[in-house]
Amino acid sequence: MRIPKFEYFSPSSIEEACSLLYKYKSEAKLLAGGTDLFVKMKKKELLPKFVINLKGIEGLDKIQWDEKEGLKIGPLVTHDTIVHHPVVREKFDFLAEACFKIGTRQVRNMGTLVGNLCNASPSSDAAAPLLVLETKLKLIHLYGERTVSLQEFFVGPFQTILEPQEMVVEVWIPKEPPQSAGSYQYIHKASSVGETLVGAAVFLTLDPKDKTCREVRIGLSSVAPTPIRAKAAERILNGKRVEEKLIKEAAQMASEETQPRSRPWYRREMSRVLVEQAILQAMEKIQ
Amino acid sequence: MKKQLIELKVNGESHELAVEPQRTLLEVLREDLGLTGAKEACGTGECGACTVLINGKPILSCLTLAIEAQGKEITTIEGLAKGAELHPLQKAFIRYGAIQCGYCTSGMILNAKSILDENPKPSREEILKGLEGNLCRCTGYNKILEAIMAVSIGEE
Repeated sequence: MRIPKFEYFSPSSIEEACSLLYKYKSEAKLLAGGTDLFVKMKKKELLPKFVINLKGIEGLDKIQWDEKEGLKIGPLVTHDTIVHHPVVREKFDFLAEACFKIGTRQVRNMGTLVGNLCNASPSSDAAAPLLVLETKLKLIHLYGERTVSLQEFFVGPFQTILEPQEMVVEVWIPKEPPQSAGSYQYIHKASSVGETLVGAAVFLTLDPKDKTCREVRIGLSSVAPTPIRAKAAERILNGKRVEEKLIKEAAQMASEETQPRSRPWYRREMSRVLVEQAILQAMEKIQ
Repeated sequence: MKKQLIELKVNGESHELAVEPQRTLLEVLREDLGLTGAKEACGTGECGACTVLINGKPILSCLTLAIEAQGKEITTIEGLAKGAELHPLQKAFIRYGAIQCGYCTSGMILNAKSILDENPKPSREEILKGLEGNLCRCTGYNKILEAIMAVSIGEE
């Protein structure tokens, strides 16, 4: 299988990349890892005239931690880098675990987190943990920038709000509150790449005084047109003492908030089971 | 599309080549350099038959442009043996019968090499997780696992 012909650019600065993107708009595609782009081009689902390789731009493959602001992940950071990054493993271990589930060893060495989000697959493993971490994305174009929440970023299956002239330059995860922990639970197909059937992420913050739930966030992937937050389920737990009965109630509500297209009964049931497991694991991690 | 002059460093040797930008590293290795160890099977990044090492890490050469691989150390299966002396993994694959049709073998061995380079004493589970992106259509996974385990415990 061959990649159809295109004209190739390898800019050495963000400005240069933005100006190429501004000039060619939807005729151009950005190249980061290539694990989605080239598959789509080989299958002729995407036929860009121009391919703009970002790998010649220095500094885009960095993860930065700031005690005030939190974690910033550049557009060329691979899944493998996230899996092994000491700060990610310490503070957002469930994100590292989710990235370890993505693709295969080879794909994790090539594919980038930003590329994964821009591909906007409903079954993205990284999306559910990032949603519950209230991740924001910085989008830029030649004449401006905007910051959007990950939730706004996804608009449909394989669709984002990204304009043709825009690129994602940063994934920003705010600093985690004290007495908090997250968990990612999933089940996957028994296929070559083991696509996730249901992914459930929970991020829980307990009140240090009385151990009530200060805030819970529940994210699900592969059960709706986009990765989603289960807000009604979150409301069941917020402000309450986290007890078995309430956890089950919230997990049931989360499963009712899903809109699975295929295997709906199974995906709903598994959403309930995995949300419950994720809440329990997050609690265990805090205590 | 206009050809571009690139320099690829494969198995320690530099090659100057004129390639069109859409050509994959796999195509250039096989068709221009005659290194046919890396194979094309699925062509879409699921099977791992095209695995080569770039700076020691396993990647899919069917989804990598040759033009992107400039300035990096590319290792193919042809680069593992030292003269007539096979790499320990190659010897173990032969000894354990971990080769059937052979199509997945070069990718399996290169990925196994990177797993052992990263962690010389991996557990059975760590090897299996590491090999999740290499499919063996003959399903000879047990023998492949045994061969890698043998090398990890230093069996000669």
